Amino acid sequence: MLSAIRYPVSEIGMSRTNIIALLIFGAILGYFLSFGPSTTQKFKSGVYQLLAPFLTSGSGLKKQITSVRSGLKSLDQLEHENSALQVENRELRATNQGLRDVEHEVNRLRHALNYRERSVFKLIAAEIVARDSSTWWRTVTINRGRRDGVETDMPVVTDEGLIGKTTTVSDSISIVLLVSDENCRVAASVEGSREQGIVSGERVTTGLTPLLDLNFLSKQADLKPGQKVYTSGVGGVFPSGLLIGVVKSFRVRELDGQAQLTSAVDLSHLEDVFVVTGRR
Amino acid sequence: MIFFFLLLFLVLVSQIAELFIPALPWLYSAHVYIVPVIVFYGAMALPFPLMLALAFYAGVLLDALTVQVIGDKVEVSAGSSILLYGVLAGIMHGLRPLFARGHWEVHCILSGIFTSLIVLAQYLMITFRRGSLVFTREIWWQIGAPGIIAMLVAPFVFWLLQWLGRMTAYPYSPERGRFE
Repeated sequence: MLSAIRYPVSEIGMSRTNIIALLIFGAILGYFLSFGPSTTQKFKSGVYQLLAPFLTSGSGLKKQITSVRSGLKSLDQLEHENSALQVENRELRATNQGLRDVEHEVNRLRHALNYRERSVFKLIAAEIVARDSSTWWRTVTINRGRRDGVETDMPVVTDEGLIGKTTTVSDSISIVLLVSDENCRVAASVEGSREQGIVSGERVTTGLTPLLDLNFLSKQADLKPGQKVYTSGVGGVFPSGLLIGVVKSFRVRELDGQAQLTSAVDLSHLEDVFVVTGRR
Repeated sequence: MIFFFLLLFLVLVSQIAELFIPALPWLYSAHVYIVPVIVFYGAMALPFPLMLALAFYAGVLLDALTVQVIGDKVEVSAGSSILLYGVLAGIMHGLRPLFARGHWEVHCILSGIFTSLIVLAQYLMITFRRGSLVFTREIWWQIGAPGIIAMLVAPFVFWLLQWLGRMTAYPYSPERGRFE
């Protein structure tokens, strides 16, 4: 009777090869699931290091495509404006576009150089090569890593203010957790008051310019729109005096006061950033 | 085997491309995901062991790019994406006779649903770590919209991969579950 219900494995849809494959898959999965924080960090940084050449060249390609696209847009407008001078204008537009790109690049680099020279911090200049593709985390990848002196938990800034901090660092690239992420918590103080709190991002943001929350203020804080919020230096990661954002609104909650801030830096259009390695 | 390696290459390229595709501000900042559609096609077109290998490979890449380690805390464990891809690709693999008979629509719809499930699973995992389970209209859109986009691109991706399979003279018959 028992032998009657004992089907060969292949007949119930699972061959020996499939079972072995499933067991191997399960074993490797178990191995991955057992990773602790440091192993996970090493695994992530290792994969990023492998992908670094693709990310860097992909970033360059994206810039070229954007530049060509903006050039074509100008040509299209030009065609509507003056059809008689179309050919001549097209040439002039293309030349101008090229020069404008160069001018923009020169201005950008001059601006960055000036900031680096007058800053009280030791800075490493870096370029954004990729943005996070996932829905729930707000990170960017920069083209500087351990080889350049970057380490985990280093603040990242622009001349306008704080951007975030480094989390995963590989040899040539690093991941920066943006200040707009819920996990990036920054001890902050408010200009013109004795109020101190913790700034963090919101879990879900839909706009191009995400708002930041300044929590754990006193109920009597009564912050006014336009007041500037700086890092307080508490906690050790972020040095004091870096501009985080500007107060947009303030509300009293059951236990504390909370302010919403507009980030000092336009996080959706980041190009050049600086990693703070220490004070001069 | 050429087709399998081609799928691995396409998964890598798409995963990198996703890093350069900006979120759609007119759709509640929803992201575009192409990799799941390729993996789900592979789940139907490949034999079981190779399907698992593809799911593992895509899961490792997704894990490496999404896992966040903040201080001593891992938000989403390494391996979670491998598990997700493995289970979802396994379900898709079970439905391959339908696909072989020309019923693409079921798999296109399922590709969308499964893509949203991946995003939902990530959200539930981070919510479990961070606390305060919140489901706003924006969150639902950020979960649902990638699925809708995946559903829309799936017919094109499936057609392209089917064509690539023919070009590489890929001999596996999904209906019979063996190489011809």
